[in-house]
Amino acid sequence: MGAFLEDLPLWVQWVAKVAIIFGGLVGTAALMSLAERKVSAWMQFRHGPNRVGPFGLLQPLADGIKFIFKEELIPAGANKFLFRLAPALAAIPSMMTIAVIPIGTIKVGEKEIPFSIAQLDLGIMYMLALGGLSVYGAILGGWASNSKYSLLGGLRASAQMISYELTLILSILVIVALSGSLDLNAIVTAQRENGLWNVFTPFGALAFVLFTIASFAETNRHPFDFAECEPELVGGFHTEYSAMRFALFFLGEYCAMTVMACLNTTLFFGGPSVPLWPEAPWFLGILAFLLKAGFFLFLFIWVRWTLPRFRFDQLMRLGWKVALPIALANLLVVGAWVAFTTPKSS
Amino acid sequence: MVVVQRKALTLAERLYLPEVLRGLSLTFRKFFEKPITRQYPEQPLPTDEVTRGQPRLVVKEDGNIACVSCGMCEIACPAYAITIDGGETDRGIEREPKKFEIDMLRCILCGFCEEACPKDAIFMSNELELADYTRAGLVYDLEKLKRPKSALQKRIDYVYRLNDRWRSKQ
Repeated sequence: MGAFLEDLPLWVQWVAKVAIIFGGLVGTAALMSLAERKVSAWMQFRHGPNRVGPFGLLQPLADGIKFIFKEELIPAGANKFLFRLAPALAAIPSMMTIAVIPIGTIKVGEKEIPFSIAQLDLGIMYMLALGGLSVYGAILGGWASNSKYSLLGGLRASAQMISYELTLILSILVIVALSGSLDLNAIVTAQRENGLWNVFTPFGALAFVLFTIASFAETNRHPFDFAECEPELVGGFHTEYSAMRFALFFLGEYCAMTVMACLNTTLFFGGPSVPLWPEAPWFLGILAFLLKAGFFLFLFIWVRWTLPRFRFDQLMRLGWKVALPIALANLLVVGAWVAFTTPKSS
Repeated sequence: MVVVQRKALTLAERLYLPEVLRGLSLTFRKFFEKPITRQYPEQPLPTDEVTRGQPRLVVKEDGNIACVSCGMCEIACPAYAITIDGGETDRGIEREPKKFEIDMLRCILCGFCEEACPKDAIFMSNELELADYTRAGLVYDLEKLKRPKSALQKRIDYVYRLNDRWRSKQ
């Protein structure tokens, strides 16, 4: 078995990894739509969907079929090209960012295969660049719909994402400074070599809190879901969308959440490293990664059904006057600390 | 005039995060509590003899319908839901209903027919579900309204008990 796998050409390995990781991501997104309803139901003493399949497990499938067969409406004054383009723009970047997340290593015989689609030296840059693109989906969707609610939702989404992206990046930079690399694999390795996850270091802990808050805002989740904001803006940027394009927005949102959960795991919780057992077999590492990421996915839902939405001015105040200065100060201190403690190489 | 005094927030409350954690712990505790939702078709609403469901006609032990098509319920009905057409019979009584229709879409389940009936022939059952694909299908005819007396016995006893309160005071 092992020898057979080793003899396979490299492209088979790549295709298999892409299929597994991408499929896993979309599958997770689908399951998240069910989990969201189930968890919210349990928190409110309800049952949640339980009619389709055991425990309602086939509900995402039923939803998908329904979305495909529904009639699609495009508003009369809409910019048809952008209207059709926006859902894809919302979904694709968030799906692509999963490529650089190191989920672990697969050991086949003596060979170690890194279980991630790409091992980029600039993994974090790649993630942030693509993550920044995902805001176009919300803005274009809101603008192309030719509806006041959509436009307001899109505007808010852009303002919010720009505000919180700074905090997000600054808190990631703290980890980059501590690990000395933009490569996510190197960040994981650094945490393993230190024997200490970044969240347990003082700067890392602060960065973790800021990163988590910013990741909620980046993925448009409660309590920062101003892009949707049902009570005020009907549905925000996706008010005018229906059928599969509507579903694509949500697929994108859930994929973005999954990626953020994975990124949080990688940056602050040691990625695929098993706590207190550095020599754990490879499959336990992958399991540990999935469990950690699963916890953060649960956190996304948990917070959504706990906290009320902010007011827009409160959101901006928190972003610019609280989170950003703290993140800046944190980075400054970490920078000074790293500069003075690291021995000069030249 | 009511003056609402704004509560001064403590530092922990203004920091927001401790309160967030408090909220999260609350929802997490509630997460494990038993759902209180009734799973309707599998767990129907509990009913007893006091339940005033849809009116049904009593079929006596000898298999004959108790109704004599006197028309009292038809007159008592405030929603004009009941239509009765009587005819001759060989049973030694004057009339029996040839047609007895209750339009369930008009019926308001008030129970006046039950009170008006002099022959203990119509009673409010505990049947509450009402669904069909057409309006015509919800105009119940004689065959759909007939119920054996045993099925309605609890309600009959209950109505008798109710009426006994007035009888004993003479």
